Amino acid sequence: MKRMGLFICHCGTNIADTVDVEALAKRFESYPGIEISTTYKYMCSHPGQEMIKESIEKYNLDGVIVAACSPTLHEVTFRRVTRASGVNPYQCEMANIREQCSWVHTDNVKATEKAERIIKSIIEKVRLNEDLDPIKVDVKRKALVIGGGIAGIQAALDIADAGYPVILVEKDPSIGGHMAQLSETFPTLDCSQCILTPKMVEVASHPNIELLTYSEVKKVDGYVGNFKVLIEEKPKGVDWDICTGCGECSDVCPISVPSEFERGLGERTAIYTPFPQAVPNKPVIDTDNCLKFKTGACGLCSQQCDADAVTYNDDPNYREEDIGAIVVATGYELYPILNIGEYGAGEIDDVIDGLAFERLLSASGPTGGEIRRPSDGKIVEDVVFIQCAGSRDPEKHKPYCSRICCMYSTKQAMLFKHSVHHGQPYIFYIDIRSGGKGYEEFVERAQREDGVIYIRGKVSKLYRDGDKVKIIGVDTISNKPVEIEADLVVLAMAMVPTPGTDKLANTLKVGTGTNGFLQETHPKLRPLESITSGFFFAGCAQAPKDIPDAVSQASGAASKVVGLFSGEYLQLEPTIATVDEEKCSGCRICISVCPYNARVFDEIKGIARVNEALCESCGACVVACPSGATNQRNLTDEQISIMAKAILSVEEEE
Amino acid sequence: MKEIIYYPGCTLKNTAKNFEDSALACAEALGYKLRELEDWYCCGTVFSLTSDDLMHHIAPARNLLKVQEAGEDRFTTLCSMCYNTLKRSSKRINEIEDDREKINSFMYEEENDYEGKVNIIHFLELLRDEIGFETIMKNVKKPLKNLNLAPYYGCMLLRPLEAAIDDPDSPKVLEELIKVLGAKSVYFPFKNECCGAYETVSEVDFVVERARNIIGNAKRNKADALVVSCPLCAFNLDNRQKNVVIKYPDFEGMPVFYFTQILALALDLNPEVCHYNLHYQPVDDILRRIEQ
Amino acid sequence: MKDFEPRIVCYVCKWCTYAGADLAGTSRMKHQPNTTNIRLMCSSRLNMEQIMESFKDGADGVFVGGCHPGDCHYLYGNYKTQKRIMIMHRILKDLGIEPERLRLEWISASEGKRYVELVDDFIESIKTLGPLKLSSNGNSIEKEISTK
Repeated sequence: MKRMGLFICHCGTNIADTVDVEALAKRFESYPGIEISTTYKYMCSHPGQEMIKESIEKYNLDGVIVAACSPTLHEVTFRRVTRASGVNPYQCEMANIREQCSWVHTDNVKATEKAERIIKSIIEKVRLNEDLDPIKVDVKRKALVIGGGIAGIQAALDIADAGYPVILVEKDPSIGGHMAQLSETFPTLDCSQCILTPKMVEVASHPNIELLTYSEVKKVDGYVGNFKVLIEEKPKGVDWDICTGCGECSDVCPISVPSEFERGLGERTAIYTPFPQAVPNKPVIDTDNCLKFKTGACGLCSQQCDADAVTYNDDPNYREEDIGAIVVATGYELYPILNIGEYGAGEIDDVIDGLAFERLLSASGPTGGEIRRPSDGKIVEDVVFIQCAGSRDPEKHKPYCSRICCMYSTKQAMLFKHSVHHGQPYIFYIDIRSGGKGYEEFVERAQREDGVIYIRGKVSKLYRDGDKVKIIGVDTISNKPVEIEADLVVLAMAMVPTPGTDKLANTLKVGTGTNGFLQETHPKLRPLESITSGFFFAGCAQAPKDIPDAVSQASGAASKVVGLFSGEYLQLEPTIATVDEEKCSGCRICISVCPYNARVFDEIKGIARVNEALCESCGACVVACPSGATNQRNLTDEQISIMAKAILSVEEEE
Repeated sequence: MKEIIYYPGCTLKNTAKNFEDSALACAEALGYKLRELEDWYCCGTVFSLTSDDLMHHIAPARNLLKVQEAGEDRFTTLCSMCYNTLKRSSKRINEIEDDREKINSFMYEEENDYEGKVNIIHFLELLRDEIGFETIMKNVKKPLKNLNLAPYYGCMLLRPLEAAIDDPDSPKVLEELIKVLGAKSVYFPFKNECCGAYETVSEVDFVVERARNIIGNAKRNKADALVVSCPLCAFNLDNRQKNVVIKYPDFEGMPVFYFTQILALALDLNPEVCHYNLHYQPVDDILRRIEQ
Repeated sequence: MKDFEPRIVCYVCKWCTYAGADLAGTSRMKHQPNTTNIRLMCSSRLNMEQIMESFKDGADGVFVGGCHPGDCHYLYGNYKTQKRIMIMHRILKDLGIEPERLRLEWISASEGKRYVELVDDFIESIKTLGPLKLSSNGNSIEKEISTK
């Protein structure tokens, strides 16, 4: 007969205000198998844990039920206590009477009754629990970082500096991400390329980092510590092992198409390096626009190339890698202007987004740093910034705040003024959010030193009027409508996850939240882990943030990876499938339903077996087995059945 | 010949005869008979904005009931104002059972109860979604060459979102229609600016300012004529031009067409259905240009 | 029936629906207390006999919660669940039990609000259907314990 202890937590008033914990403790005192039934204010606190320990000793318990918060939060805590008292930790279970009871109900009587049902079901489960030992597996101490922007770069460097090999996969031809497109960064007005390029070069030359650009992750199998990753290296058309990066190929290429790096304001050739400081500084061929690929003609670049590096190779290369942990840092893109009809829907040349304006500001940009408007190249004198374009708009666009726009528009207005001394920048805003270090002072400086005019109000409409853009807005502080004839309009467009993030999340089996950003385990306490073990997040892929936060999060993710690699082995949950050899008829149905190939056929005995390291405890085979030979440890069919009976048979108090 | 019940509304039978007749003729030419709803009532004109004002929905509800009694579950209308009111009312009455029950019990003199299953579409939706622009293009006999038209939507077709037949800030249906008829649709940012609506009754000056701005913008963007889809807009933008000229003597007017009139022109239908005599701003120049 | 309080047992998957239920709690959203969750690793762990047993043991309704199609933590467990529930609906109908008493919903870990709305909706629908009347509604649990 199992000897079990029931420990009900008040959780301050969180549980006790709604659920009558004392009455429950009393009710269970005489419940079959319960030797001690008691409560405490905060069971997870030190005295609470001590109480459990002492009770285990005093009453010689071999089963522990803690009725408190969600097991997701504290199962680990109480199992640790149980183990420390000499009892197998898998004999400890939690009854969730907080998140799924006291916090979601208002009727105290009914909530208490429900708590009784929940507790009963968990007691009955523990009654049938077996002692289990975690399954030990090896860890492959090699990391994969997906995304080569500032966050991915930082994570890769930190993991590599800790002594572990890293593969950094980036889908564009060069690393650097959007930070490479910026002119200067707030609040220091550091030249973005100047602070980024050293890190990019460090990545390329680091002995522990293998850099794979123009590549994508196609498939991920396996589990934490033992991932099998399939990477596709897209065909570059140029042999980078031979290429010297001289650039003469692009010089002779006759094709001109809009440059993605210049956000459409400048052009590039079909064989191209995205920007001068690209890392690796080697070209790729855009096969959609290259004449050789389209018609078989031209071939000037290969003729020009002294190193004979232009191969016009069309085949992708596939690599399979064994990886222990994965950092996802795929970054952001800007919400397209074409979605906002009141701001021209992308059809007005002189209405651009913040990244495009960065290219105008940049000394190495399409206009050499001169602020010329895209329509006719005239120097811009009146520039209007419109904040929250697509953000904070739950009705039609994105409900959230994109966090960085107030700061970068301020920065852009200042830089504009530094370039066009007689120019006038206007910023239409709802609120100015400048919470970071030095941010508020930066905004003050913009007004005091650079005469940036902030107008509190939304722009309801803008349109082309002659060669200007007419802005119809409002100043809610003076209560007057405001009309401005601008040379250029810069929209602070909402930040959205890079297109393709949802597809990648699906491939990796990590979750995404309502707005498409990667879903962290806990928004407050575990903001850079995925619920799926082995995946960590860094940068804007998880939520909009500025560079300091992206870098911090990247270092945090790196430290999680290093922590994972530092143990001797990994421990896996042992609640896996089992086979009753007597009952197994060798029909092999279980083998066909297992998504992890964790079931194997033992030819000699003619029965199925479970590969403990691969079984993920989903339970599909348990249900599929026609002879009932397969069961699941500590979640057997009998346990599920008795839990349901416990839930359904509690009599309502009259 | 397909059939759909047609709700005219008050204005279409009077000052907007040009709208109705041209529409009926176009529909028939494109394979749809617009069968007028027998025993129709005023739509109520404006959708009541107070949520507990159920009485105001009686008028629309009665029309929905009549459509139901005619054995149909949908109907179409031309007047954008009627469309907006009927659409929003029908949404409320169809979705909220309590409201519908109250209205039914109030309308006790009616033989039947309204069951909440009737829906309304605007004639432009019929053209776009059921007849289709491809079919219209195939039926165009006289493409409206050398004509620059400014597509004007006004408010009622685009706001609020629950009634909108197109994107409120980048609508395309009139532009596409103009294109398939062979004309050029100009860039016209004032396409969804309010015409002043029924301020025309007591605040004529307000409408004068709006009409001047809207037509002025159309002119700046090189339009030859305005294309509208609502009789109130047509009144404010066409008839009220006479008031604009009084206040601004150098105001250059512009002819205003209903979209069904230009459709009738392109389909080469009998010009009598267009009743050009009802217009204030003469349309002869345009008609002449099309003939060339 | 105003006084009828349905008894509903819910089989939910740990990765999605259970987490969504936790999120509803963390966000302090409220719903009716008639449901109680049993946490499974995957909704595909639930077999048809268990569903039938639940009704036999006194459930007026059975709720099954899993991940959205394509998002199953175990790749395609939820597709199996879906097929199973479809068959169960037919079986229930043949047995004279309203198939609406068995509901399958996809609720992700970030959908706390949706969880609350669906649970309340299910409870309301069971209230409308009324209690499930089967011939034996045993309180068998006490018996089982005393024999161990």
